[in-house]
Amino acid sequence: MGFRFFQQKSTWIVAGLIISIALFSRCGSDATAGIPDTVDFNYHVRPILVQKCYLCHGPDESSRKANLRLDTYEGATALLKNGGRAIDPGHAANSMVVERIYHKDPDQIMPTPESNLKLTQQEMAILEKWIDQGAKYDPHWAFIPPDSSLLEKKYKKNAVDFFIQQELDERGIKSAPRASPESLLRRVSFLLTGLPPTEKERQLFLKETNEDAYVKMVDYYLQSPRFGERWARHWMDIARYAETRGHEFDYPIQEAWRYRDYLIRAFNADIPYDQLVREQLAGDLLPTPRVGPGNENESILGTTFLTMAEGSHSPVDIRKDEADRIDNMIDVTGKAFLGLTISCARCHDHKFDPISAKDYYSFYGVMEGTRFSPQPVNQASKLETLESLQKIQEQVRQWAHQQLQESGTANLLLQTNNQQAAASADSGYQVLGNFIGSDLDGWKSDGLAFGTKTTLGDPVFNEQYQFIGLREGMASSRKMALGIYGALRSPDFTISTNYIGVEAAGRESVIRIVIDNFQLIRWPIYGNIEQRVSDTKWKQYVFDVGLWKGHKAYIELLPGVYENHVFVQRPDSYVDARYAIAYNKKWVEPINKGLALAALNRQLKKLKVDLSIQSLLEQESRLRLALRDSLRFFYGVTDGFGKNSPVFIRGNYQELSAEKVPRTFLTALGTRGNNLDVAGSGRLQLAEVMLEQNNPLTTRVLVNRIWHHLFGKGIVETVDNFGLQGKLPSHPELLDYLSLSFKEHNYSIKQLIRTIVLSETFQRSTIPVTSSKEKDPANTWLSHFPLRRLEAEAIRDAMLAVSGRLDTAMYGPPVPQHITSFMNGRGKPAQSGPLDGAGRRTVYLEVRRNFLDPMLTSFDRPIPFTSFGKREVTNVPAQSLILLNDPFVMQEAARLAERMEKKGLKKQEEKIQWLYMNCFGRAATEDEIREANQLLTRLSDKNSRTVWKDFVHTIFNLKEFIYLN
Amino acid sequence: MNQFQRPLSRREMLGICKCGFGSLAMLGMFGSLLPSCSGVEAGKNQLLDHLGAGPIPPGFVPRAKNIIFLYMDGGISQVDSFDPKPRLAKENGEDPAKKFKMDATQFGDVGKILKSPWQFNRYGESGMEISELFPHIGTCADELALIRSMVSNFPEHTNANYFLHTGSGLQGRPSMGAWVNYGLGSENSNLPGYVVLDGGLIPPGGLDNFKNGFLPAAYQASLLRAGAEPLANIKPLDSIAGIQEEKLAFLKKRDQHLLQSLDGNDAIEAAISNYELAYKMQSSIPELTEFKEESEATKKLYGLDSPDPNTRNYAAQCLLARRLVERGVRFIELTCPDIGGNADRWDQHSNLKDGHERNAHAVDQPIAGLLKDLKLRGLLDETLVVFSGEFGRTPFAQGTDGRDHNPSAFSMWMAGAGIKGGTIYGTTDEYGYRVVDKPVTIHDLHATMLHLMGVDHKQLTFRFGGRDFRLTDVHGNIVKDILA
Repeated sequence: MGFRFFQQKSTWIVAGLIISIALFSRCGSDATAGIPDTVDFNYHVRPILVQKCYLCHGPDESSRKANLRLDTYEGATALLKNGGRAIDPGHAANSMVVERIYHKDPDQIMPTPESNLKLTQQEMAILEKWIDQGAKYDPHWAFIPPDSSLLEKKYKKNAVDFFIQQELDERGIKSAPRASPESLLRRVSFLLTGLPPTEKERQLFLKETNEDAYVKMVDYYLQSPRFGERWARHWMDIARYAETRGHEFDYPIQEAWRYRDYLIRAFNADIPYDQLVREQLAGDLLPTPRVGPGNENESILGTTFLTMAEGSHSPVDIRKDEADRIDNMIDVTGKAFLGLTISCARCHDHKFDPISAKDYYSFYGVMEGTRFSPQPVNQASKLETLESLQKIQEQVRQWAHQQLQESGTANLLLQTNNQQAAASADSGYQVLGNFIGSDLDGWKSDGLAFGTKTTLGDPVFNEQYQFIGLREGMASSRKMALGIYGALRSPDFTISTNYIGVEAAGRESVIRIVIDNFQLIRWPIYGNIEQRVSDTKWKQYVFDVGLWKGHKAYIELLPGVYENHVFVQRPDSYVDARYAIAYNKKWVEPINKGLALAALNRQLKKLKVDLSIQSLLEQESRLRLALRDSLRFFYGVTDGFGKNSPVFIRGNYQELSAEKVPRTFLTALGTRGNNLDVAGSGRLQLAEVMLEQNNPLTTRVLVNRIWHHLFGKGIVETVDNFGLQGKLPSHPELLDYLSLSFKEHNYSIKQLIRTIVLSETFQRSTIPVTSSKEKDPANTWLSHFPLRRLEAEAIRDAMLAVSGRLDTAMYGPPVPQHITSFMNGRGKPAQSGPLDGAGRRTVYLEVRRNFLDPMLTSFDRPIPFTSFGKREVTNVPAQSLILLNDPFVMQEAARLAERMEKKGLKKQEEKIQWLYMNCFGRAATEDEIREANQLLTRLSDKNSRTVWKDFVHTIFNLKEFIYLN
Repeated sequence: MNQFQRPLSRREMLGICKCGFGSLAMLGMFGSLLPSCSGVEAGKNQLLDHLGAGPIPPGFVPRAKNIIFLYMDGGISQVDSFDPKPRLAKENGEDPAKKFKMDATQFGDVGKILKSPWQFNRYGESGMEISELFPHIGTCADELALIRSMVSNFPEHTNANYFLHTGSGLQGRPSMGAWVNYGLGSENSNLPGYVVLDGGLIPPGGLDNFKNGFLPAAYQASLLRAGAEPLANIKPLDSIAGIQEEKLAFLKKRDQHLLQSLDGNDAIEAAISNYELAYKMQSSIPELTEFKEESEATKKLYGLDSPDPNTRNYAAQCLLARRLVERGVRFIELTCPDIGGNADRWDQHSNLKDGHERNAHAVDQPIAGLLKDLKLRGLLDETLVVFSGEFGRTPFAQGTDGRDHNPSAFSMWMAGAGIKGGTIYGTTDEYGYRVVDKPVTIHDLHATMLHLMGVDHKQLTFRFGGRDFRLTDVHGNIVKDILA
C-alpha cells in the first residue's frame, strides 16, 4: 500500500483549482465535473472532513458534538441513537451524513449555519460517492511509510525529472527550455552558497561549454565553505536562533554562536542528518560523541537547539513560566523534525491530527526531565591528563590504605550515607544530601569535577611528602584537581519547608536552588535562591524558600559563578559541601560519623612515603597544575531524573490529571521503539524513535525542506505542517522517492541537493512557454523555474561581495548588532556594532531578540520565537526605503564605485559592462548601455560629484539585484 | 469560513476583479486594498469576507474608524488616578498583611498601607472622581467610559506588555494594531495603517510589542517620531535635488523592461510600484510631522507651548496622532516620554509622588487637548481613544514611598466612537487591590475595541502552525455597558 492512493490525486488538484476559481467568481459549475472515478480518502475526502467537520466531530473529545466522530471508521459507522448510521458504507442514501448535508432545514443542515462553514456542491458529491464506494478510511498520507519499490525502479537519467515530467505530460504542459549559462551560474551560486558568483568563478565556469561543465560547477559550490554558511542559516530559522533571551533586559544566551558554527561545520562536512537529529536532541547523551575542532566534543553543541527559547528574568509564577518554556521546546521539536504541530495538543486533544493531550504531556515529561546547564567547550582536551591524574591518585590511595590496613579504617571508608538525623523537633526536617560517607547520596555528578565519590579516605600529604591523614567525606569539585568543570545536582524534591541549608566552603562558586527548572535567577524575586560561596571555611548557607512550598526543585553546586547569566569558572574556583538539609525552624546537623575518622587522624603518626610514591606525588602536582587554566562555556542541557508529567487539564498546571502519563512517542505513528519512560529524560530514545524505519515523517520533512529552499516552494507547501491541515504534496511519489534515496545515501544532505540541482527541472529558464502559463498559472507542475526574491541575508551579502568589502572569515563570536537611532528600549547594548558588520557575512551578525536588525527584518528574516521553515516574502515600502536611503546601501555603493575606478578601465562603456557583469553575472545589453550612458550624463548635469556612486546605487536598486532569475 | 487562510495573492485578486494585469499593484503593501479596481471599495472589505480575515457580519455597524492608544507604560497607579480609596488614608501606615491576603509581588519588598498623596475631585455632569494629577483630563470626564475593574494575567512588565498588546504574554504574536489592519485594511495608501509614535520610551519587550508576529510583515507598526527624520530611511541621502528622480526614472524604465522580458511577474510588478509609494512617502511623511498649518490656538490647546519639555513632547505626539487620524491611519499608539530623573515611566517603585506627578504633567494637557480637538473637528465620533497601562499598582507601599506592580486591579478609560461618556464600570475592593465586581480582562478589552471597529473578535482569525489564531485567543467578552 502507500502507493495506490496517490494514483487519483492528480486529477483532483486540477479540480481543486477549478473549485477555487469557481468560488471566487461565485458562478456555479457542474457539481460532478472533475470528480475522479475512484474517490481517494486522503486526497479527496479527508480535506473536506478536516476543514468542515472535525471541529465538532474530530479527534478532540472535549469539543465533540452529539457524541459523533467522523475521523475514524468505527466512529462514523457506529449505530446512532435513532437507529441510523452517520455513514453506512456502500449506501450513501442510508447515511445520516448525506441526509444532513443536503438538508433544507437550518436546524438540521450540516455544517451548522453558526459554524460559518459550508460544503460546496462538489464536496457533497464527493462525500456521497465515497460512501457509495465503501467509505474506506486510510491512515493520513504522511504517516504511511513510502513504498520502497519506488527505489528499485529504473529511471532514465535523473529520477527527479521522471516524476516531474510524468505530471507535465499528463496535463500536456510544455516545459521551458534550459536557462542561460550565466543565469544558471548565478542561480547555483546563490542557492548553494548565498553569494553571487565571483569574477574567478565566472571565468571558471562560463568558458567551458562541454557536458560536464555544469556538474563541475555544482560540485564546486557544494564543496565551497560558503555552502555551510547558507544552509546553516536555513536551519537557524527552524531552531528560532537568537543570541539573547529577549524579555525585559535581553540577557545573553551564553555563547549561542557556537551552535551556529556547529551547524556551519556540519553542513560543510555533510554530517548525516540522522546524526544531526540525535545531536540536537541528545548530543549530551551520546555514548561516542563526535569530535570537533581542538578534539572537543562537537555533538553536545547541538543541544543548544533546546535552549534557544525566550527567557523571563523575574516571572512571578515560575511554574507557568516553565510550562511556557517547555511548550516552546515541544513546539519547535515537533515542527522541526516531524512537521507536526504537537503544541496544539497542550490544552486538549489535537482538533485535527491524531495527537492527544497525553502525547503532548509525554513530550512534556521528556523536556521536564531535561535540565539546563553550562557546558564546557574546552574540557574534553583535558581528558587525557585527567585520566593519568586519576590513575596516579588511585595508586597513591591504594598505598595509603595499605599502610592503614590493620588500624580498622576499612570499615570507616565503606561507610555510606544514611539519612539519620540528629533528634529534631522540626516536623519538616529532611536531609536532602549527606556527603560525609563515601557516596554522593544519589545526587547527580555531571561533568568531571565531582567524580563519582566523595573525598572520604583520600590520603593527605604534607609538603615534606609525609602521609598525615585521610580526608573526611565531602562532595568536592576539586577532588581531583582545580580547573575542571562539573556540577553536582540533587534529585528533584518538592519544597515543603521554610528553609534549605547547605554546609559548604569554596571560592568563587555558587549554590543554587533551581525551582521549576528556572534559570534566570536574580533580584528582585529570586535573589535569595542563589548564593555565592566565597569562604574557604565551612559555612552554613541558608535559603529562604518558604514562598515556593509545593514547587519542584533541585539543589545545584557549581564550581563557578553566574555573572549576568553568563557562567564563569576561574582557574582556582571550587566548591565543597557536606550537607544539604531542609528545615522549618532550626538548623540541625545530621549525625557525623566522620568524627571517628578525625580521631583516627589524630592518632596517625606522620609517615614518610617511599620514593616511588613521592615521584607519583610529584607527577600528580604537575598534572594538577596543567589542568588549571580557564574554561569557556555555552548554555546547554544535561539530563535530570526521568519524569512523567500529569496532563494539565485545559492547559492549566493548577488542574492536573490524577494519573501521570508514561512517556511514549506519538502513538499514531506506529513506531516500535516507543518507550521513552527511562531513568533519564528520554531524549536519546526520542531521537532514536524519530529515526526509526517506521516513522516516515523525519525524512519526508527534511527532504521537503531542502526542496523548498531550492525551488522556493515545497512539494508539501506547508513545510512545517505535515498534519491533516497541512497541504497535500504536489508530487507525492517524488517526495517518497527522494526520502528513500536520502536514507539509502546515509542521510547525505549534499547528495540530495546534488541530485535535485543536477536535474533538468532545476535548470529550466524562469520564463514559461506561453501555453504552460495558461495551463498552470501557479507553476504547480514546475514547467519552469520559479522566479524568486533573494533572502535578506543574500541581499546584504551580495552588496558586500560585489563592493569588495566581504570578509569571508568564518566562525567565532558574532559581530555586534548595529544600533540605529530608531532602536531603543531596555537591554540596549552600550555600544553599536559597525554599520557594515565589519564586512562579515550576515550569518555572523549578532541576533539580539529585542534589537533585531531592521534591514533583515524588513526583508523577512523571521522573528525567532518558533520554527519558520518557510519565510514570508513580503513587499513593504520599508524595503524600498532601505534600498533607496539606508547608509549601509550607500556605503557599499561608494565602495563598489571606488573598486571599479581602481580597475583602470578607460571607456565609460567598459565600466558599465564591468558593473553589470559584477552585479548580475551577465553582460549589459546595448539598450542598457545606452540608457546607463544617459543616466550618467544626467547625473553629471545635475552636478553630482559622485556620479559613479550614484550609478552603482541605482544598480543596487534594480529588481534584478534582489531577484533570482 | 477558512477555505483560504491568508490574504489574497495578487493572482487571486486578479481572478476576482477581472481588472487585468497591473491594476492592483499595491495590494498588501500596507495591508490595504486600493480603490484602483472597480468593484472593490477600499476599507469596506467585501473581499476579505472570503478569507475569514475580518468579515463584518450583517447588522454590525462599525462605530470607530481609527484607534488612538495612549499607552501608560509602566503601570499607572489606579488608587492615585481614577479609583479613589478613602480607606487607604484611614489606615495609612498599617500592616497590609493584617488587612487582606497578599499575592507575591515583583519586588517582594512589602511596606505599609500607603494613602494617595493626591486629592480626588468630581468632574462634569457625571461627577466622575479623578485625582488632581489630571486636572485637564478631568474637564473631559463626560467623554470617558472609565473601567475600574481591569485585570491582567502578568505582574511583570514584559509579559504584561505583550499581553496587553498581543493578547499573549509571550513574544511573537501579532499586535492589536496589526490585527486591526489585517482585518480592515488601511484607508490611506500612502501611509502605513499602524503607526507607533516614539516618545522616547520603547516599552519593555521592545519593538515586538508592535510587530506583526505571524501575520504578513505589511501589518507591522511603523515607528514615527518627531524631528528631522520621522521614519527610518525616509530622508534621501542624495544631497542634490533631482538626483534621486534621475535614479528612479532609470529604475522604472529598466525594471519595466525586465518585467516584459519575463512576460509579466506579479512579485516584480508589485515591487516596482512599491518604489513609487516609497518616493511619495519621502515627502508625505515629513509634511505630516511638521505642524506648519496648525494654528497657534491648536498648538496651545495641546500644550505645545508648555515650559515642560515632556509636555511639549507628548503634545507633539497627540497632535500628530490627530493628523494621522485625519489621514485614515487605522491604529496609532503613543508611547511615554522619557521624563528623566529617577522616574522610569509610570513604574514608581519608589518616589511615587515625584514620578507620578511629572509623568502626569507630561500627558494630562496634551490628552485633554487631543480629546477636545478631535471633538471640535467631528473626529471623536469615529475615533476611539484608549488610555491604559499594562497593570496597576499595589495599595501598600514598596519600601516606604513606592508602589509595586498589581495585575489584580487597575483602571483604564476609553473615549470617543461608540463610547457612552461619563460611565464608570466595575468596582475594586476598599483598598483598590482586587476587583470585586465586573472584572474586565485584556481579552475583553480587545474584544470591545474590535467590536467598535466593526470586527467580531471571534471571526478575525489567521491560520498559523496548524491553528486558527485570534487576538483574543479563546476568550473575550464585549463590555456592552460602556457602549453608547
